[in-house]
Amino acid sequence: MLSRVAESMFWMSRYIERAENTARFLDVNFHLLLDLDKITDVDSRAYWEPLIMVTDDRERFLTLHNEFTAAAVSDFLVFNRNNPNSIFSCIALARENARSIIETIASEMWEQINRLYHFLNTADHDILQTDPYNFYQAIKNGSHLFQGITDATFSRGVAWDFVQAGRYLERADNTSRLVDVKYHLLSNSSNKDEMDPIDNIQWMAVLKSCSALEAFRKVYLSRIEPETVMQYLVLDQNFPRSIYFCVQMLQEALWHISGSRHREFATNADRLVGKLEAELNYTTIEDIYQQGLHAWLEELQKKLARIGDQVYESYFSYHTFLDNEDVALAAQRQNTGSSSSRVSRAVWSQLDSSEQQQQQQQ
Amino acid sequence: MLVENSRPHLFDIYNPQTSRFFDEMFATDSTVREHYETILTLFNELSPAEIEARKQIVNVFFLNQGITFTVYGNNEGVERIFPFDIIPRIVPGAEWDMLERGLTQRITALNLFLFDLYHDQKILRDKVVPAELVLGSKHFRREFVGVNPPLGVYIHITGSDIIRDKEGAYLVLEDNLRCPSGVSYMLQNRQAMKRAFPTMFGNYRVRPIENYPQELASILQQIAPSGEKASITLLTPGIYNSAYFEHSFLARQMGIDLVEGRDLVVNDNRVYTRTTRGLKRVDVIYRRVDDDFLDPLVFRSDSRLGIPGLINAYRAGNVALANAIGTGVADDKVIYSFVPKIIKYYLNEDPLLPNVPTYLASNPGELSYILANLDKLVVKAANESGGYGMLVGPHSTQAQRDEFAAMLKADPRNYIAQPTIALSRHPAFANDNSFTGCHIDLRPYVLYGESVKIVPGGLTRVALTPGSLVVNSSQGGGSKDTWVLFT
Repeated sequence: MLSRVAESMFWMSRYIERAENTARFLDVNFHLLLDLDKITDVDSRAYWEPLIMVTDDRERFLTLHNEFTAAAVSDFLVFNRNNPNSIFSCIALARENARSIIETIASEMWEQINRLYHFLNTADHDILQTDPYNFYQAIKNGSHLFQGITDATFSRGVAWDFVQAGRYLERADNTSRLVDVKYHLLSNSSNKDEMDPIDNIQWMAVLKSCSALEAFRKVYLSRIEPETVMQYLVLDQNFPRSIYFCVQMLQEALWHISGSRHREFATNADRLVGKLEAELNYTTIEDIYQQGLHAWLEELQKKLARIGDQVYESYFSYHTFLDNEDVALAAQRQNTGSSSSRVSRAVWSQLDSSEQQQQQQQ
Repeated sequence: MLVENSRPHLFDIYNPQTSRFFDEMFATDSTVREHYETILTLFNELSPAEIEARKQIVNVFFLNQGITFTVYGNNEGVERIFPFDIIPRIVPGAEWDMLERGLTQRITALNLFLFDLYHDQKILRDKVVPAELVLGSKHFRREFVGVNPPLGVYIHITGSDIIRDKEGAYLVLEDNLRCPSGVSYMLQNRQAMKRAFPTMFGNYRVRPIENYPQELASILQQIAPSGEKASITLLTPGIYNSAYFEHSFLARQMGIDLVEGRDLVVNDNRVYTRTTRGLKRVDVIYRRVDDDFLDPLVFRSDSRLGIPGLINAYRAGNVALANAIGTGVADDKVIYSFVPKIIKYYLNEDPLLPNVPTYLASNPGELSYILANLDKLVVKAANESGGYGMLVGPHSTQAQRDEFAAMLKADPRNYIAQPTIALSRHPAFANDNSFTGCHIDLRPYVLYGESVKIVPGGLTRVALTPGSLVVNSSQGGGSKDTWVLFT
C-alpha cells in the first residue's frame, strides 16, 4: 500500500483513540468530583490540573487561562481549536487524515468520522456543564462505533494492521500517562495502612476511566489497593486497556505488517516492540516500584515513542531523494522522539500547497 | 380526496413565463410537457413541508458522505454542501440520441484537430484556423509536437457545457477538454434522488448511469502502454482541492490508488508509487492536475503538486496520461468559435450541435461591435473557467463595463463576446417553499478510448440565485438529477 496512505491510516486511528481517552479522563473526573463534593471540601484545582498534565499541555493552557477550573480545563480539552490535543482537534485531524485516504477506508468508516466531527462542530459548549455524562458518552460511543465499523467492514490487510498499530500504540501511551499522574497525586495523600473512603473512591475513578472497574473486581474482588490497581492497569495480560495488553497487540500488528515471526524481526520497529513485550512479560509490579513508578513510566513512554519513530522510518518515509520538506520533517521527528512529550502529526505538507491545490478546476 | 383538494397544488402557483423563456417543464403557461406529466402529479401530491423533509434526507446524505466544499477565508473552515434541487430534469430519449450524435461528432473532430496541431498542422497551413491563434495560445505545448499518445487520443474525458436557448434549441457553450469535474455529482445526485423518492423511479424508464466508473476504468485500461494488467492511478492535487471528493469517489469506485504528487517518483523514465513495500510501477495516470503543475522540471518550477521527470516518462511512452498534455489549446474560448469549421474540415459534415454565436475581440471589426454593445453581450476571458473573468452585460454596472472595455483594448486576443442567451429554465424548489423558474445548463461526460462512449445523463447545473445566468458552483449554483428516458 502507499506509504502516505499507511501513515494516514496509522494517524487516523491514533487520533480517534486519543480523543476517546481524553473523553474518558474528563468524564470520570467530573463524576469523581460530584462524589467528593459530598464528602469534603474539594480544592478543584488539584483535580483538574492533572488532566492538563496527562495531555502534556500545561504551558499552552496557561497562555489561555489563569486558573484550573472545571469549566476552563474541560473547554480547553474538548473544544479548544488551538489545542492540538483537544477532542475537537483530534477528531478534526482524524477526519483530515481519513479524508486523504477516503478511497481506501470503507465508506461507513468515513461517514462515522464525519458524523462525529459534525456532532462536535455543532455542539453547544455549555453541554460540558449541563449534560457532561451524555456528551462524553456520545464521544466514547462514537469512537467505539468507528472501531466496530472498522472491525466489521474493513478488509484484514496491511491497512488494517496499521489501524491496529496506531490504536494500541496510542492507547498504551494514554494509559501510562493516566496511571502516572493519578498515582503521583494519590500516593502522596494516601496512608498505606489504612485506606480512607476518599482514596477508595479515587482509585475506583482511575479504574473507571479505563472502563476497568468491573473487570478488576472480578479478578481482585473488593480490595482496591494502589498496587493491585497498578498491577492491573500496567501488567494485566487480558484487559484490553492495560499497557501490557496494548503492547502485545501492537507487536502482533507490526509483525503482521512485516511478516516477522517469533524470535525474528524484519525491522527495527519489530525488534523494539519485541523487546518491550518481553520486558513487560517478565516484569513484576515490585520491579517497577523498585525503579520508581514515575521514572519507569516515563521510560516506557520514550520506548513507545521510539517504536513510533521506527514505524515511520520503516514504512512511511520511503524517500528516494530528500527535499526540503523531508528534511524539516526529519528534524521534527528528532525533536519529538527524544523526549516523552506527545507526538502529533497534522497534514503538514498539504497546507503550504493548499493554494495551488485550489487553483485546479474546470 | 377531500383532504387533497383542501390545499392548493404547488404547481398551481408556478409561473413559467413561457413568453420570455423556454421552460423545460411547461410548453405554455398552462400546459405541461408530456414527459413531465407524472412528475407534476407526484409533486402536486406533496405539501411544502413534505418536500422540505425529503430535501433534509438528501442534505444529511450529502453531509455524512462528506460531499461538502469548504468556504475559505475564515479560520472556521465552514463546510457547505452543494445545493441540490429536488425536482429532476428530464430529457426525452430522442433528444438525448441527437445530443449523443452531436457530441460524438464534436469530440471526434476536436481530437483530430489536436492530433493535427501536434503533428503536421495541416489545418493551420490551409488557413482554416489562424496559426497565430493556436501557436500563441498559452495552452499550446510545443514540446509535444510529434509525440504520439496511445490510440492517438488526446481527450479521454471531456465535459461539454450545453445550453438551450429561448426556442429550446441545444447549443454548445464551451468544451472542457482539460480536467472537467462534476461527474461525481451526476452519480451522487442519482443516489440522493433514489433515497428521497424511492417510488418515483417506478413511474419512469430512466436510463442508468451507474456504470460510468466502469466505463472510465476501461478506457484508462485501453490506453495503458503495457497492455494487460495495467496499474492505474488517479492523481489529485490534494484534499484542499474543491473537487477532492470527486477524485476520491472515482478512485474508490474504480478500485484504483488515489495518489498525490509526493506519492510518485520517476526513475529511469518510469513512474512508481512509494509503498510500504518499496516502489510499484504505474502505467496510467488519470490526472486531475493541470498541465502547468504536472512536472516542475518542464512546466511551473514552483509546483508543489507535480512529479519531477513525469513528462520525460510520458514522452518515452512508459506512462499514459488522461487527458493528454496540451489539450487546453482546443478548449480556448477563441478556438471555440472555429469548432464548426473544424468539424467541417476533418469530417466533411455539418455540425449537429451548433455553437453560440461568438465575436472575437482580436478581429478589429468585431472588437468595435463588442465595445459598442457591452451592455447586451456576455464577455469572457479566453482561458478562464469556473465563471471567473466574465462580464454579463445586462447585469453589469457602468464601472464594470468600463473596466472590461479597457481590458479588451489592452489584450484583445484574450477575449470573446457572445449574445446574452436566455438559458432555458426549470422549476426549482426555492427557499420560499414554492417552485421558481431557474436557469439551467447540462454537462454530459464524454469518454474516448477505442471509441467514443457517453453515459446517458450528465450534470444539470441550476442557477439558484433568482434571475442569475451563472450556474457555476463557485457562484451560487446548485444541481439536479438528470433523467434520460429510454423513449
